[in-house]
Amino acid sequence: MAPTGDGAKGSKKRKNPKDSGVPSSKRRAVAENQSEDAMAKIQELEEQISESRKYYNNIAILLSMLPAGQAGGKPNLAVAVALCRVFCRLIAGGNLSEPRGAAENEKVIVAWLKERCQEYQKALLDIVRNADASSQITALTLSMRLVNERATNMPEGDIYVWTFGLFKAVFEAVVEAQDGEALRAEFLTNFVKAYDDVRYFTFHHVSEYAATPRTSETLQVLISMLSECDTAPTPEHEFESFYNKNAQKNKKLVSVNAHKKRAQEAWLAILRNNLSQSQRKALLRIMSHTIEPWFSRPELLMDFLTDSYDVGGATSLLALSGLFYLIQEKNLDYPQFYTKLYSLLDADLLHSKHRSRFFRLMNTFLASTHLPAMLVASFIKRLSRLALNAPPAAIVAIVPWVYNLFKEHPTCTFMLHRVVRDDPATGFPDPFDPFEPDPTRTSAIDSSLWELETLQSHYHPNVASIARIISEQFTKQSYNLEDFLDYTYQGMLHAELGTGEKPLKKLPVVEYQIPKRIFTDRGLEEDGGVDAGPGSLVRALWDFA
Amino acid sequence: MPPSQLKQLKASLRDSGVLGPQQSKKQKRQNAQSGANVQNRIKRNAALQAIRDRFNPFEIKAPASRGKFDVTTRDNKGATAPRVRPGVTKSLGEERRRATLLQEMNKKNKTGGILDRRFGENDPTMTPEERAAERFARESQRKLRKDSMFNLEEDEEEFQLTHGGQSLTFDGVNLDDFQDRELEEDDDEMSDGEMSRKRKRIFNEDGELEEVPEKEGDEQPDRKKSKNEVMKELIAKSKFYKHERQQAKEDDDDLREELDKELPDLFAMLRGVPAPAKPANDKKDLESMNPERAALIEGNSKEHADKEYDQQLKQLTFDKRSKPTDRTKTEEEKAEEEAQRLKTLEEERLRRMRGEELDDSDEEQEDKEEEEEEEDDDDDGSDDESIPDDALAFGLRQTTTRPELGVEDEDDFIIDDDLVETRSDVSLSFIESDEDMSGEEPGESSEEEEEEDELINGFTTPAQGDEDANPSGIAFTFPCPEDHESFLQILEKVAVEDLPTVIQRIRALHHPRLHSDNKAKLGRFSAILVQHVAYLANQPEHPPFAILENILRHIHSMSKVYPDKVAMAFRDHLREMSISRPLNPLPGDLIILTGVSTIFPTSDHFHAVATPAHLSIARYLEQGSVDTLADISIGAYAASLCLQYQMISKRYIPEFMNYVLNALCNLSPEEPSKSLGFFPLRKPQESLRLTSKSAKHRKMQFWDILGSESKEELKVALIATFVSLLNSAAELWAAKSAFAEIFTPALRLLKHLKKSSKGKQLPSDVQDSLQVTLDKLEQLLSQARSNRRPLLLHNHRPLAIKTSIPKFEENFNPDKHYDPDRERAESNRLRAEYKREHKGAMRELRKDANFIAREKLREKKERDAEYEKKYKRLVAEIQNEEGREANAYERERKMRKGKR
Repeated sequence: MAPTGDGAKGSKKRKNPKDSGVPSSKRRAVAENQSEDAMAKIQELEEQISESRKYYNNIAILLSMLPAGQAGGKPNLAVAVALCRVFCRLIAGGNLSEPRGAAENEKVIVAWLKERCQEYQKALLDIVRNADASSQITALTLSMRLVNERATNMPEGDIYVWTFGLFKAVFEAVVEAQDGEALRAEFLTNFVKAYDDVRYFTFHHVSEYAATPRTSETLQVLISMLSECDTAPTPEHEFESFYNKNAQKNKKLVSVNAHKKRAQEAWLAILRNNLSQSQRKALLRIMSHTIEPWFSRPELLMDFLTDSYDVGGATSLLALSGLFYLIQEKNLDYPQFYTKLYSLLDADLLHSKHRSRFFRLMNTFLASTHLPAMLVASFIKRLSRLALNAPPAAIVAIVPWVYNLFKEHPTCTFMLHRVVRDDPATGFPDPFDPFEPDPTRTSAIDSSLWELETLQSHYHPNVASIARIISEQFTKQSYNLEDFLDYTYQGMLHAELGTGEKPLKKLPVVEYQIPKRIFTDRGLEEDGGVDAGPGSLVRALWDFA
Repeated sequence: MPPSQLKQLKASLRDSGVLGPQQSKKQKRQNAQSGANVQNRIKRNAALQAIRDRFNPFEIKAPASRGKFDVTTRDNKGATAPRVRPGVTKSLGEERRRATLLQEMNKKNKTGGILDRRFGENDPTMTPEERAAERFARESQRKLRKDSMFNLEEDEEEFQLTHGGQSLTFDGVNLDDFQDRELEEDDDEMSDGEMSRKRKRIFNEDGELEEVPEKEGDEQPDRKKSKNEVMKELIAKSKFYKHERQQAKEDDDDLREELDKELPDLFAMLRGVPAPAKPANDKKDLESMNPERAALIEGNSKEHADKEYDQQLKQLTFDKRSKPTDRTKTEEEKAEEEAQRLKTLEEERLRRMRGEELDDSDEEQEDKEEEEEEEDDDDDGSDDESIPDDALAFGLRQTTTRPELGVEDEDDFIIDDDLVETRSDVSLSFIESDEDMSGEEPGESSEEEEEEDELINGFTTPAQGDEDANPSGIAFTFPCPEDHESFLQILEKVAVEDLPTVIQRIRALHHPRLHSDNKAKLGRFSAILVQHVAYLANQPEHPPFAILENILRHIHSMSKVYPDKVAMAFRDHLREMSISRPLNPLPGDLIILTGVSTIFPTSDHFHAVATPAHLSIARYLEQGSVDTLADISIGAYAASLCLQYQMISKRYIPEFMNYVLNALCNLSPEEPSKSLGFFPLRKPQESLRLTSKSAKHRKMQFWDILGSESKEELKVALIATFVSLLNSAAELWAAKSAFAEIFTPALRLLKHLKKSSKGKQLPSDVQDSLQVTLDKLEQLLSQARSNRRPLLLHNHRPLAIKTSIPKFEENFNPDKHYDPDRERAESNRLRAEYKREHKGAMRELRKDANFIAREKLREKKERDAEYEKKYKRLVAEIQNEEGREANAYERERKMRKGKR
């Protein structure tokens, strides 16, 4: 390498004074010439290696040409490719395994070759970890080819290569690679998703890798990797696309259950790791359609779900559906479920974007007619209390829901109509205890729904008229809650304002009196200095100047 | 077993009185004398005919099959009408056809002919003598019949029967001595004419030509005049005399008039002064006269004048009668009227507030749930019951929220005229008059008035000042802009301060009364003004609020005429706001929202502009960011606005409470240690807590919404504003049943605020107002608690249990169709009728065809028979002749033989 490099430099130096004014195209041509020379050199070295063993030292030369370790530097990919070919050939030729009873010098050569091979692998992985995107991808492909060759031809067996050997290192390099989005995408699309065996071992390594606590960024990488594999195989699925042709023989690799088990372990390892809140929420969101299908035993998710449910807030809301599934299908015993559910009804619930999702679930939970009326009353009262601070879209959902509950549990209608025998002069104290966490002890059933009655004078006419249904006769069997769930400010505004193409149905009424002042104190003296006209509130608080 | 036929016959004969006991001779004689015999005979014949019909078993059609058992649902037409007599019906039909169809057939392909319509011509029962007598009687009656009492000419027009030039009238012999000579001449002429030789024709009343045989006239017997006729003549005479007298009188009148005409000349001559300009005078006279009289004098035909007169008379009857005008009202009455009107307007507003007249908008909202709509309707009903209470409450409120009447006319350039006209609810009808009334308002005079007004008040806007300085600085005419860009072009050279003047001039120049297009133009202009207010407020050099206020007031005044245009403009703005910047309102948006609060009644249950505007504000309060003081300032303004919106209707706004409590939490010097209530907390990215201890209190400035230099001062101002907003809100919603639930968190928060600002972070006046609000909240809360009662929402009458009794039809008739679908029943009925008619028509046509064929055959047979007869006759004749000739020949031969 050194002589060629010197020669090139020498020639450059020689040419430089001559070509100082020459346009750069020539210089590029020179550079091309130079690289062509290098390519020819590499070609020559590589061919020599394949010709005879005496040229094995060329491997060392090539390895030294591969400038690994220089972070950010551009590695010589041609060398890497050539070396890959060399090693592949050597492995295929069995030159890297020492035959039984081989001579001492043979052993020395094999050991030397193995050493060089390790060196080469290490260099490749360094490239994967640190180099720029395209080099990373090339190095990854080369490493995978090496993995394949080794798994096919090495006598110690493919499993070793996959589980402990080179692939493990490759996987870790991919996960830990810097700026490796493109790399990982390549790894996922071209290897993990394309080949069933690669996926299988990837799952294996994820579970091993995530067994120890990792940083949230690493976990994020792992999660995104795993969530890419979102199609779980059906039980009668037959695995056909294998990267390594030996894999067909491996029984584990063709069994669906084994695959699922690996995936399950991988997910569990991640779920047990220290997830951040946002990751937890994200996982809960994809739980049903991405994670759950891989699980042959969904009850293993129990811990994660109950933990998430106990976190509170939006996380709890998201965990609710998974938990409900487990309770319903897998006979999970969640003590104090309704107490927990009740505690979820906090000030932020009605303002969160998971509101309608929660309502759907809660509607299911409270659909049972066997629930005690006290408990139902607590829920009704708490939600009405929350409705006092809720946006119109939430009120619109709460009122029909309350109506339906009243229909189901007529005992609770005392909350709407209670005749008191002796009218106390001091008023009727509200027996409801809003801070009691247990919904069976709030004595909400002895209270009244003044909140909903107040909402009958809500500023928005539609909300007000919906709130009025609780004071009408309960003639309707039930309201379809689904119709009330998905309202938004934007939607309501759009419904009010339309597109502006149609003229108004009837002329809008105009205030008959034109006020004397809107912003200013115009003519205030005439009124005796007392501003009582319309808009006085704003004028009193604001100074318009 | 029924009795035998013979016995039945005998019994029926006896029943009908054909057989009876023998009559005595005396009786017979009596009967013969009184003519009862004839009657008896007729009666008996009829009875016999009936019996014959009854006993003829072949007349009645036997039922096709034996009757079925009687069941309720059977169509019992067949059962009740077994006695079909095909012979009778057939002969009836035949007869009818003979009368109609046969006639037509005979007349077919024939034209002309004479229809004999003489009386009794077709009546075979009359003898010719009777016929003649009857005809004569009728004719004389006709002559006697008077059309009109004053019909003088009638007699002359009549034709007379003559014979040989001699009149056939009975009075022809002794003619009346007064008979007109002319008439006689006429008669003579007629008698001399060619008609005399011809058959006389007479037109009878039908206008049909009637042939009168001449002998009829001859047959007329000469007889004495009847009393009737004598009377008639007498009357005719008197009529004639009367006519004569009238004629003479009219002649006299004419003569006198002529003389009268000459009278002025005569006077002039008497005075010796020449008549001055007589013709002109005359004409003038005519002009001042009634046209018909003038026409009369002018010499127009009298008929024409009469016609005109009639017309005028009719017109006059349709004219309105003059009525006494209302007397001028006193000041007190005017004030009372004004108060009454305001009261009705306010009542209307309240009704809208309760959402009572808003059927269609309700429909709009509740399209998907009809049930709810029904319940709404129910609700409306229950609201009706509570009207009196609300009205009472309103009576109290009116005085507090409405300005006093006396002061109101301050704004005369707009209000007064408009108010007078907006009395009626139907805005379209009064638009015209409204314009008329407000016609002068934007003009110069009102401008001056306003100017004066401002000067008097000592409050001069820059605009007024400028105007004073250089009144000719602005052009006097402006084109009415088509869109906002062109308006901006107009305004390019105009100072902002002169904007009100420009608007006023545009409004004055394009007043609808001046041109029919101006109405549309001003409508557009009003929409442009809405755009312009927002545009102006968004300008970086903040225009003075007096200008914005003035434009808004202009928009308000125009919105009375163009409510749809202005409302659409506002809605357009709100829509744009909701789409492009729902959570970052510009200053212009806030100004627009403020304008909505003054221009439209925000207390309405549903309002096309106010409701979306309110929703936009609430949306900002719920979702807008709270990261900077500018955000919170916008929020504070929005909160003040939405509270302002609900000043009258007092509806609850959850977003307002959330926002105010949240903002106070974020502004208070310390963070509350535990949750204060069920309102959601939204934390800003960087703390906005009040830290400085030296900040002074000031009033919030509108332009604080863009941020302020002195942050601590602004924080203090915001805290003070929010506290006083809470104060107002507590007052507003004190009557709500959930007042305690709503304001307990607020009370906790205020307490926390007070505690955390103990270290004198708040200026003392803010502290005071905080304390005042706290006290007030505590007082209101304790009041609310003591007034609280359990809900009694379901005082409904219990619903009736649903019955499952089938709908039972009293007097069910299987023939009737009980189709609940009216249209279907009707169409079924029509279909059945059509079918029946169709069948009947087919049958009739078939029978007609049969009849025609039969008749034709008969005719043919007749013709054939005739031909045969003729043929035979001819043959017989020939044979006869032949025989005779043969005989003659024989004789001849015998004779010849004999000779030989």
